[in-house]
Formats: sequence, C-alpha cells, structure tokens
Amino acid sequence: MVNFIIDGKKISAEKGTMVLEAARANGIDIPTLCAHEAVSRSGACRLCVVEMKKGKRAKIVTSCLYPVEEGIIIETKNERVMNVRRLVLQLLMARCPESDVIRDLASQLGVDAQPRFAADEDKSKCILCRSCVRVCEEVVGVSAIGFSCRGADKAVSTPFNEDSAVCIGCGACAFICPTGHIEMETTEETRKIWGRTFKMKTCDVCGRYFAPEDQLKYISKKTGVPLKELAVCTNCR
Amino acid sequence: MNIVENFDLFAPRLINKKELLSSGHRACSGCGEVLGVRLMCKALGEDTVIASATGCMEIVSSMYPTTAWEVPWIHVAFENAAAVASGVEAGLKALRRKGKIADRDIKVVGMAGDGGTMDIGMQALSGAMERGHNMLFVCFDNEAYMNTGIQRSSGTPMGASTTTAPAGKVSMGQKTWKKNMAEIMVAHNVPYVATACPSFPLDFIRKVEKAKKVKGPSYIHCFTVCPTGWRCPSDQAISLGRLAVETGIFPLYEVENGQYKLSAEMPKKLQPIKNYFKSQGRYRHLGEDEINMIQGKVDKEYGKLLNKVECLKAWD
Repeated sequence: MVNFIIDGKKISAEKGTMVLEAARANGIDIPTLCAHEAVSRSGACRLCVVEMKKGKRAKIVTSCLYPVEEGIIIETKNERVMNVRRLVLQLLMARCPESDVIRDLASQLGVDAQPRFAADEDKSKCILCRSCVRVCEEVVGVSAIGFSCRGADKAVSTPFNEDSAVCIGCGACAFICPTGHIEMETTEETRKIWGRTFKMKTCDVCGRYFAPEDQLKYISKKTGVPLKELAVCTNCR
Repeated sequence: MNIVENFDLFAPRLINKKELLSSGHRACSGCGEVLGVRLMCKALGEDTVIASATGCMEIVSSMYPTTAWEVPWIHVAFENAAAVASGVEAGLKALRRKGKIADRDIKVVGMAGDGGTMDIGMQALSGAMERGHNMLFVCFDNEAYMNTGIQRSSGTPMGASTTTAPAGKVSMGQKTWKKNMAEIMVAHNVPYVATACPSFPLDFIRKVEKAKKVKGPSYIHCFTVCPTGWRCPSDQAISLGRLAVETGIFPLYEVENGQYKLSAEMPKKLQPIKNYFKSQGRYRHLGEDEINMIQGKVDKEYGKLLNKVECLKAWD
C-alpha cells in the first residue's frame, strides 16, 4: 500500500492505482471526459489535471495517468489547478461550441466562451480524445477507425474517408463518445454509421430485425459459434 | 436527433463494472426487481444516497446484521421514502452551504415498490415532486404487494388474480385498470419522467443517467417481473418483461419537459396480449371475452400515448 495526501486527506491505495481512481474512491471529484474503465487511458481531454507536490517540486499532472507514489501531496482544487482547468475548458469550448456536455462543465466552473479563441465551425463535437479509436481496437478488436491528417485538420475517420470494410456496425464508438459526436442512425432494416449503411438481420424465429449482418458474421468468426445459432434474437433464444 | 438509441453487443462491455448492490442478497430466483436495482446503482455511481421504502428490496438486501448496499442507504417507513429523500437533499444542501461537506454533486434517490409509490407513498411523493427537490424517485413496479404475499395494489393490472382479488366463479381477479403513475408524475410538471424495464438494460441505464443529470425532480417507473407473484417460471423473467413492452401493455417512453418520446425499443407493430398472458398463472383463468376486452383497452391506452407523442410540444 502507498500512502499519500489528496486535498489534505490521508489516503492509502494499492501500488499502481492512478490518482484519479484513488481520489474518486475517497469521494473527491475530478472532472473528466475521456477516462473510461473499459479502455486504456490517454490523458487526452486534460480536464483531470491536478497539482502534484513531491518534496520541493510541484507540477501539474493528468491524474488519470499518474500512478500514486509514497508521500506525494495532491491538490485537486487549488488556484493553479483551476486556472489550468478553466483554460482547457475555454479551448474545448472554442473547439466544440455546440457540445452540451462541455457547456455544462464550463458553466459548473463558471467559464465563458472567450472572444480571443475563435470558435471552430467544422469540428462538430469531437474533442479528439481517441476513446472511439481505442474502443474499436481494444474492446471490439477490428480497428475500423483512426485519426486522419495532422494539426488543425486532425479528425477521426475511416481510412481515406471511404466505407470501412472491417467495420461491423456495432456502435460501441458512438456509445463511448463523451460528447455525442459520432452519429448512428438505426431504422428497422438498416443502420448507418461512418457513412456506411449496414443491413440488419432478421431473427430466424420471430422475423424481427435485431443486429447488423456483418456483426453476427464477425462474432461467429471470432467465437467459432455457427452463424445459424446467432441468427436468433435475444427474445427467442 | 443524433442520440444513439439502439445498441446490442459491444456496448454492454462498456458499462460500469463496479457493483454497488453486492451479490448474496436474499431475492427469489429470477427476480426482475433486484436486477433493476442493480442496474440503477450502476447508472447512478457512488455519489448517491438512497432512501428505500419498506418492500421486497428492503427485506432481501438488509437482513440484520448483513447488508448488500455499498452506497449510503436508509430504510424508512412504507409511506415516506420520498419525504425522507427530499429531507436528505435539503440537509445536504444546507451542509454544503455551511461548508461542512465538500461541494460536489450527490444525487438523492428515493425508491419504493408499486405499493410504496402508488398507494401508501403517493402523497409524500406528490409533495416532494411539487416542492421541486433535486432528487430522483424510482418506482419498482411488480404489480402487487409481493413481499407480504401477493395482495392487490393499485398497480395490479386488470384481470390478474391476487390473494386479495382472487379469481373465481364471480370475479375475474383485479377488476380495475392499473393506475397510470407516470402520467400522474407528468401532471406534476416534473422535468423528466420515464418508464423503463430491466429487460432492456441499456435503455434503463440511459434513462437513469439522464435523470441523474436533471437539476430538479425526476421520476422513473420501472416495470419489474416477479416470477413468484405472477406464477410464472423464473427463467422467463427477462422475456416476460420484453413481452410486456412488445404487447404494448407497458409501453416504454420518456417525457422531457412535457414532450413525449417513445423509446427505440418499442416495436412498430404490437404483439397480441395473449402471448404475454399465456405463461403467467395469474391470468390463467381469463376466457376469450375477457382477453379481448383487455386487448381493446390496451390498444386504446396505447393509442392515447401515440397521440401525445405526436401532438404535445415541449414547454421549455
């Protein structure tokens, strides 16, 4: 066990725990957008910044990626941390002016949109946290999407913005997206995501549309269960 | 609208893995209600205080000296879960203002069964909703007082046989239509009202998460299958919940600021309610005429709901 202090509270946690988890387990709230327990961390949204004091040195670190150490002192809400967090939010607001999630967070911290940061119009709600890319790679295992371009043009997309051949239309990327940028439209017989339209499969027993065909094929390939057994919806199984 | 509504496979692996209602409680096998409570806790997270009325969930989860709860939980009398929850909310607000506790969001949740919500706890709930406390109330509706031995409540559906409304030569069981609690809550001008069922777990979790974000009162009516009281096999708990939704006897919808919206799970064409009735012992006595009469009433109620979805606009 490692002993340290967060906001004046003595806390001990297992070695290897991140500061964010240790704080949350002790009722200290740190705002985040991109940290999710199902995927690896990337520290992309920068909202979880805290001040870490080790001996005489104090520095700003991302708490979701900083493992706890013996004797460190963490401040989550002092003036320096709040200044950084406010600046991050101002920049996020300039990038995604439409996002309700970011606007809510900003109003909680009393941050307004700054005229000095010109608002982007072409980025929609994407904050480039890479959660969708990681979930596609780590949880689903197909890597259908990734980042394209660099700098100001960087965006999440399928390779060359064309219909991805490996995408199975599961929608996990849309589910994990913290700001609701990724759109998925489902009607009875089709599902549209990343510009590609998937055909839905009907249940062999009741005839209801229940899952994209490609998704069932992928599961069948991965688990070795024959496709015929998967072609029955959850109701009729 | 670009809200993602329909997930099936990989999304379940992304929901909160921490269990706040631990296993080892004493619920019956196949209990739909305890599943609902578990999913609700997953959606609410750790910063939650729950006030629970007397009922199955209190009995099975807190048998002395054990407890299944890993969040602050208060058991209160049958009638005042909502009153206690509103008091906890006011208390937390006062402590926060005086600087005695850290300034963070803690959601106060009241929960009760259908008896504790629709019959006994109705006036406390009505008061709490009217005063506008920042709290969520969840009704776990298993359609009778199951804990004390299947007595009828105002949530019992027409035609169901219970121990205090038994079916026989003279009576067909419950003679009155189920009280529409969600509508009563809509009439309180509550910002968020929803109906849900743990047979559609992602939909239920999303609704609780939405209600958690609402600043003000919100109400979720959760339909839960009770194999013991409904006299049905316990392995059908999930499929019966689905059938109740798909036959239109318990439609899933949400009302945000007065605007009705059907959930994505609702099918375009409803199944006949016969399919829902046939595996339940509490409807075994119903004849063709009675089923047709109930079917007519279900269609009418569903038509009324569709009308509201089409015609009513948001007031905010």
